[in-house]
Amino acid sequence: MTETEPKPWTKPFPNIDADNEAFWNGLKEHQLLLWTCHTCGAQYWPKAFCIKHENEEFARNMSWQPGSGRGRIFAMNRHHWAFHPGFTDDVPYTYALVELDEGPLISSTIVGEVPESLMAVGTPVRVVYEDHPAEGFSLPRFELVRD
Amino acid sequence: MTGRQRIAVAGLGTVHSAPPGTSQRMMAAEAARRAIADAGLSIRDIDGALDLRRTGGGGDRANYSDVFTRVLGVPAQFYFTVGRGGALAGLATAVATGFLDRGLANYVLCVGAVDDYTKSQATKKKGMRGMAHADKEGYWGKPLGDVRAASHHSWMAARHMAVYGTTSAQLGAISVAERSWACLNPEARMYGRPITVEDHQNSPWVVEPYHLLDVSLVSDGAIAFILTTEERAKDCAQQPVYVQGQGFGEVAAELWWEKRNFTEMAVAPAKAKAFEQAGLSGVQDIDCAQLYDCFTAEVLFQLEDYGWCEKGQGGTFVESGAIGPGGSIPVNTGGGLLSNWHLGDLTGWAEGVTQLRKQAGERQVPDCETVLATGHGGELVSPGMCSIHTSTILGVA
Ligand SMILES: [Zn+2]
Repeated sequence: MTETEPKPWTKPFPNIDADNEAFWNGLKEHQLLLWTCHTCGAQYWPKAFCIKHENEEFARNMSWQPGSGRGRIFAMNRHHWAFHPGFTDDVPYTYALVELDEGPLISSTIVGEVPESLMAVGTPVRVVYEDHPAEGFSLPRFELVRD
Repeated sequence: MTGRQRIAVAGLGTVHSAPPGTSQRMMAAEAARRAIADAGLSIRDIDGALDLRRTGGGGDRANYSDVFTRVLGVPAQFYFTVGRGGALAGLATAVATGFLDRGLANYVLCVGAVDDYTKSQATKKKGMRGMAHADKEGYWGKPLGDVRAASHHSWMAARHMAVYGTTSAQLGAISVAERSWACLNPEARMYGRPITVEDHQNSPWVVEPYHLLDVSLVSDGAIAFILTTEERAKDCAQQPVYVQGQGFGEVAAELWWEKRNFTEMAVAPAKAKAFEQAGLSGVQDIDCAQLYDCFTAEVLFQLEDYGWCEKGQGGTFVESGAIGPGGSIPVNTGGGLLSNWHLGDLTGWAEGVTQLRKQAGERQVPDCETVLATGHGGELVSPGMCSIHTSTILGVA
């Protein structure tokens, strides 16, 4: 059986630039990288200066380090309208703001089983990776963690 | 430079509807012309001009930067762009105050225009829904499905619901109240179309927890106003409306990852400054409030953050009918962005001036002497909150 030809990407493309290229490369390696302070270990996403420290120029006292990829749902919504035609086949989809265990907030869709209530704040989730090799990027999604 | 005078709004001009295909340039110019005439001034009196844009300084300014020069022929000694998202009138007033205080201008013309409705009709043909400009370059969520303002603003409503137990029907009470006001305003887009909470609940989901009736309108039109000193305003045609106090707040002051910003807005510092300057002790001194209402929850947050009710009690408060006609604090008395029309904080600003001049007809708030007008806007890369809050006290006393 031949592999299914991936569908061409019809959604908006991610904006990958010098600040976040390493982060996007991490996703391709199936790692969720967080911008990490070498002094105190505080972690940020996206790239930032450490708010607990005086920073070196261009935040050179920090680097991208693997995070746990785990967190909890902080807020959630469900898109019933496709604002962009690329999402027409996806609606309704559940989109969550996730508070990572390391502290920062990140957002993406919940895949697989989705919480019935949007009030399911605090539900544990973990990152899963959706590869788009033809487009040269991978996207992070989140799934519910069932113990 | 002599002692400071109060700054006053001396003229107001609005364009709610224009012939189809009218450019932003011509709507802006027409609103400006009306504001100048309203003040009893001539175009030749205007010596400063501010172009109010959601994307202050953006390249799109070139599309109509000739409003003041070629179309109107304003002999301005300066003009430039001010604005951040929906925070337009508040920022323009702060900027103009400096020029007026220092004698760099006598009359500053401030104009904003939008053609979002026309643009949305055009992009609809390409399968897009909502305001096209809201596709933010560099915005994290774009490839993932977080696309337009409703995508990320709805998290704030969802978070408030999860933390405080606010319900969708309570948000609906805000829509209903604003629609009731719009039904007293013949110029409002939704005039003659009352709604109930049931209608709100039955309106389609856009981004749950937001129904269609939680979302502000997409509009064409323009609003202009003229700022001058107290002394000059007294010689103008209209009763002056004075800027009694101004304050600003930035979510960014505590960085975007400050998570409580999902259930409150940067009201505290803005309110403190504005109320102190105006000599007001609290919200009991406000006769009507024009609160920025891009979505229903923004109104709820402000009612709590300004202190009309306790944090978390906004739902119960609006359910009681407190913000509608006959309520204890009239809010968005023209119908607001939800039911009147959408030009950022200029919509509420214009309504505040109209109320203070006692020109609001059927919807006139009795004995209206002090109005709070707020703005909200800007953008933070992700998670997509608007960061700035502007607070202006307008008054006639
Ligand atoms: Zn540090």
